[in-house]
Amino acid sequence: MLKLLRFLKPYWWQVLLLLISTVAQVYATLQLPALMADIINNGIVPGNMDSVWRDGLLMLALVAVSAAAAFCSSYFSAKIGAYFSRDLRAAVFAKVLAFNMTDLKNYSTASLITRTTNDISQIQMIITMILSMMVRAPLFCILGLVMAIQTAPEMSWIIVVGIVAVVVSAAIILAIVGPKFKIFQGLIDKVTLITRENLTGIKVVRAFNNERLEVKKFDKTNKDLTKLLIFIDRILELQNPLINIIFNGTSLLCSWVGISLLNQDFNYLGNMTAFSEYVTFVMISFLMLSVMFVMLPRANVSAHRINDVLMTKEKIHFPDKTKGVPDKRSSVEFKKVDFCYPGASEKVLDDISFKAEAGQTTAFIGSTGSGKSTLINLVPRFYEATSGEILIDGLNIRDFSKDDLINRIGLVPQRGILFAGTVASNIKFGAPSATAEQIKKAADIAQATKFIEKLPGGFSAHIAQGGTNVSGGQKQRLSIARAICKNPDIFIFDDAFSALDMKTDANLRKALAPIVTDAVVLIVAQRVSTVKDADQIIVLDQGKMVGKGTHQELLKCCNVYQSIVKSQLSDREWEKEMKGIKNGA
Amino acid sequence: MGPNTNTAGSAKNKKFAWKEFKRSIKPYTFLIVISIILAVGSALLALFIPKILGDMTNVAVVSYPNIDWGTISGKAILVIVLFVGAAILSYAQAFILAVVAANYTRDLRNEVIEKIERLPISYFDKHKYGDTLSRMTNDIDVLTTSMSQEIADVSLSLTTLIGVMVMMLLISWQLSLISFVVVPISVVVVGRITSFAQKYFREQQATLGVLNSKIEEDYAGHLIIKSNSYEAEATRDFDKTNQKLAKVATKAQVFSALSFPVTHIFTNLGYVAICILGGMFVIEGKIPIGNIQAFIQYVSRFNRPITEIASTTATIQALLAASERIFEFLSEPEEEPDLEPALTLPKVKGEVEFHDVCFEYLPGVPVTRDFSVLVKPGMKVAIVGPTGAGKTTVINLLMRFYEPTSGYITVDGVPIKEMKRSDVRAMFGMVLQDTWLFSGTVEENLRYGRKDATLDEIKKAAKASNVEHIIEALPNGYKSEISEDSDNISAGEKQLITIARAMVANPPMMILDEATSNVDTRTEQLIQDSLEKLTNGRTSFVIAHRLSTIRNSDLILVMRDGKIVESGNHAELLKLNGFYAELYNSQFAEN
Repeated sequence: MLKLLRFLKPYWWQVLLLLISTVAQVYATLQLPALMADIINNGIVPGNMDSVWRDGLLMLALVAVSAAAAFCSSYFSAKIGAYFSRDLRAAVFAKVLAFNMTDLKNYSTASLITRTTNDISQIQMIITMILSMMVRAPLFCILGLVMAIQTAPEMSWIIVVGIVAVVVSAAIILAIVGPKFKIFQGLIDKVTLITRENLTGIKVVRAFNNERLEVKKFDKTNKDLTKLLIFIDRILELQNPLINIIFNGTSLLCSWVGISLLNQDFNYLGNMTAFSEYVTFVMISFLMLSVMFVMLPRANVSAHRINDVLMTKEKIHFPDKTKGVPDKRSSVEFKKVDFCYPGASEKVLDDISFKAEAGQTTAFIGSTGSGKSTLINLVPRFYEATSGEILIDGLNIRDFSKDDLINRIGLVPQRGILFAGTVASNIKFGAPSATAEQIKKAADIAQATKFIEKLPGGFSAHIAQGGTNVSGGQKQRLSIARAICKNPDIFIFDDAFSALDMKTDANLRKALAPIVTDAVVLIVAQRVSTVKDADQIIVLDQGKMVGKGTHQELLKCCNVYQSIVKSQLSDREWEKEMKGIKNGA
Repeated sequence: MGPNTNTAGSAKNKKFAWKEFKRSIKPYTFLIVISIILAVGSALLALFIPKILGDMTNVAVVSYPNIDWGTISGKAILVIVLFVGAAILSYAQAFILAVVAANYTRDLRNEVIEKIERLPISYFDKHKYGDTLSRMTNDIDVLTTSMSQEIADVSLSLTTLIGVMVMMLLISWQLSLISFVVVPISVVVVGRITSFAQKYFREQQATLGVLNSKIEEDYAGHLIIKSNSYEAEATRDFDKTNQKLAKVATKAQVFSALSFPVTHIFTNLGYVAICILGGMFVIEGKIPIGNIQAFIQYVSRFNRPITEIASTTATIQALLAASERIFEFLSEPEEEPDLEPALTLPKVKGEVEFHDVCFEYLPGVPVTRDFSVLVKPGMKVAIVGPTGAGKTTVINLLMRFYEPTSGYITVDGVPIKEMKRSDVRAMFGMVLQDTWLFSGTVEENLRYGRKDATLDEIKKAAKASNVEHIIEALPNGYKSEISEDSDNISAGEKQLITIARAMVANPPMMILDEATSNVDTRTEQLIQDSLEKLTNGRTSFVIAHRLSTIRNSDLILVMRDGKIVESGNHAELLKLNGFYAELYNSQFAEN
């Protein structure tokens, strides 16, 4: 929590004003009982109406002052809280955008979203509260104490008794209940878990006729939760009655002691009334503080979660300017590249070397987990190679500035991801200055024009968040169009064709051919038919390169490739294929 | 929180929610009434304390300088008795309500979970899980806490309010007048301010919603943003909304915080007026000084119940909204009850026949139509077709997750509609694409289909499903804890466990939805192998994605737009050179 307080810095003068107005408010409020005591002692008792009026009007003035000050302090605490959290949210957002994929692996997207939204709202709430209460309560405590002792020094021990009673009773209750809250949270989580399981697994539950079992299981947890809740409440509900006893008790003590002091000094008549009000102020402040201490740990959890994100060091650095002059002709070359996740001992990629030239298609094939997606994500430096070198256009990728590198690459991921906006805004996502003509051309090549024209509004048709209003295949075609529109030197298709049917796949690749004559094309695929015509195919198995060559070459000598092909062809077709090889040889 | 489907519930819905709430709370009426009585008692006892404290002062002043300690200590003891008594009553009151709330929560949760088990599957196809989940958690929470809070608050506040008014009037009607004028004005003003604040709060929530969905979108599209150097643009866009949020949030906060200084000023105005006027009265000898002391204490007790009662409307709104969502869910139509008496099948041979089965998901939109087929005992049936052809629907009909709109299905000649649902489902084992395991041990999960299976039988099934070595490699073997989202086993291994689970249950027929992706080549072979064993000798229905399954099936049903367009075995269908051939070629072979 403390670490986040640095975000308050830009608002230091507002914090200062807040402090000043809070002091003014507390001070003015605390003068009221003293003035009332004065009314009693110097006005009412001697029967002096002038004094009553004078003090009364003074009180009115103080009320006005304290109200104005209270307004200022509420205003500043609200404003600081809102702007503080705005800055914090922007910082977290920027950080997450700067994350690379290794960082992202540490968090789920859902958790990052919560950290940027709920956690920050929590912090905002607590900051506003701290600003208004953390300052006010101690001030009330201290000034209240001073005023009380000033009004009736002989009675000050009553305050001590009152505070000790409040603190002790609150501490005891917290000590008993506090540890139970953790268990309570655990049981709540379990209730949610069982409910969620029953919702997601509803078909399995019913298929196995286990409805009764599930209800029983739920009821057990539910019962435990109820029992614990009743236990906690039994203790927690003691708080209010106890506090009431303490408040009333001190009131009584004040009257009693005040009356017994009357013989020494008749002024105690007014003083004891004022004093008992001060005591109430002080004790209420203590209560407020104890509430804060209950809330702080909760806010601390959120603060931690936010800090985790903010403190993540950027692991991948780009030079501001590209060092060196890249070749005119595009190429991508891997030299003995290894990759493993930080802290992991197992290599995800092991000794990968190949060169992909402009105008050539290089395809990667292998089972899930073979590392083919990781491999192509090394090219835009979403992951950083653990060892070895990756060269683009003859230059080490670490020498490229970020924009220079990214602008060379057109990447189409496995899942078609779209953003809220229009069809056109999605296609020109990577090339903001693209003309309508270029957008149309990109859509043509991606075989998307036909369905786009059927959409209401055509290219300006609305796309919902996450692209939920177009189908999976359409999403994929739009995301291919997006990459084409960027006119990159290097195309990376990460299993991008699998959502398309064979015919569209073939048409698309035919249309793509003329525009990639000067570009490097990297394709990750599962279908043999997609990779078959590639200039070179790289076969991956558990992170290792087990084959490199053309379809024909690999069929001859690469076992892994053979088994992949075999699993996708019928026996007859397989025989035909093999015969072709033999004839060719 | 949670998606609010109908925040602005109509009056009819509110009435319904209120009625249902009253029904469900009925068992606790007695305890609630007791706690209200206790609350009233406690408030009444507390009421006399300031008056008696004031009397103490009066006695002291009157008897000064020979203070009458006898009378004073008598009054002091009375005060102690009063506040201790009030505290005891209020504790009893709070405790009873806490017990009521806890038990009521438990009742509602149980009702919801039982409802979940009784609702037709189609309900969950149309409603998001998160929505039901938030009814179970958030809404029930809101309902029970606001309920117990309201009962205590309203009864305490009302009693205090009336009592304090009476006491104030008894002390001095002139002074009371000040409070009776000032306090309602302040309540009205604060009410106006709060309604303003609420307007900004709504705006804040809306802006927050926009911002959250931007965050969600950008995080989900992280890869695309990075690979297109879109960070700056995304940040600019984000900042705009973020800035707007800060502005609105400030307004909302300021307005809601405004109520504090405003109440403050009104309270103190009253306070000052009472001091001045009271001072005048005492000087003129109209009332004794102790009464002023008492009166000031009453005034401070007078403010609180009024603001509390003013705030109940908001709480009651929340309570109604929550109960509306809970009871709306609880009153959803359930699965139709089983026929009584139901037909039974003592020994299942496994002949399944679909007779002109139609199923409409939405009226007028058939998902499956005129589906007729005869499956002989022991046959392996593969169902193939493009996405949306209705393959899953056929299986849902077979399991009676859905009921056909027309036509019927028989097993060994007996219509399944006339059997008990549980009996129908017990005839089939199911292995689905999404590998659902509940949190618990591996053994418990494997025993899910047959509670009385011995450990030996479980181990045998695990072995047959090629999952034995995987389980034994886990830290605690069969006693290892796993769950739906546990990551100590892979998706493929989970799939194997679900196969073993079906094997333990050992049903006469099988339904399989083959998994496609997320599985490495080796595990895929293991899965295929164990599925082979599982279907051996059983009538089985497979939603097929794999060549091996399709080619070896006794019968292939080719579906398109809810209809069987072709059927036969692989060779026959290829020869036909129709839709199947086209599908097969596009999916599995080369051009």
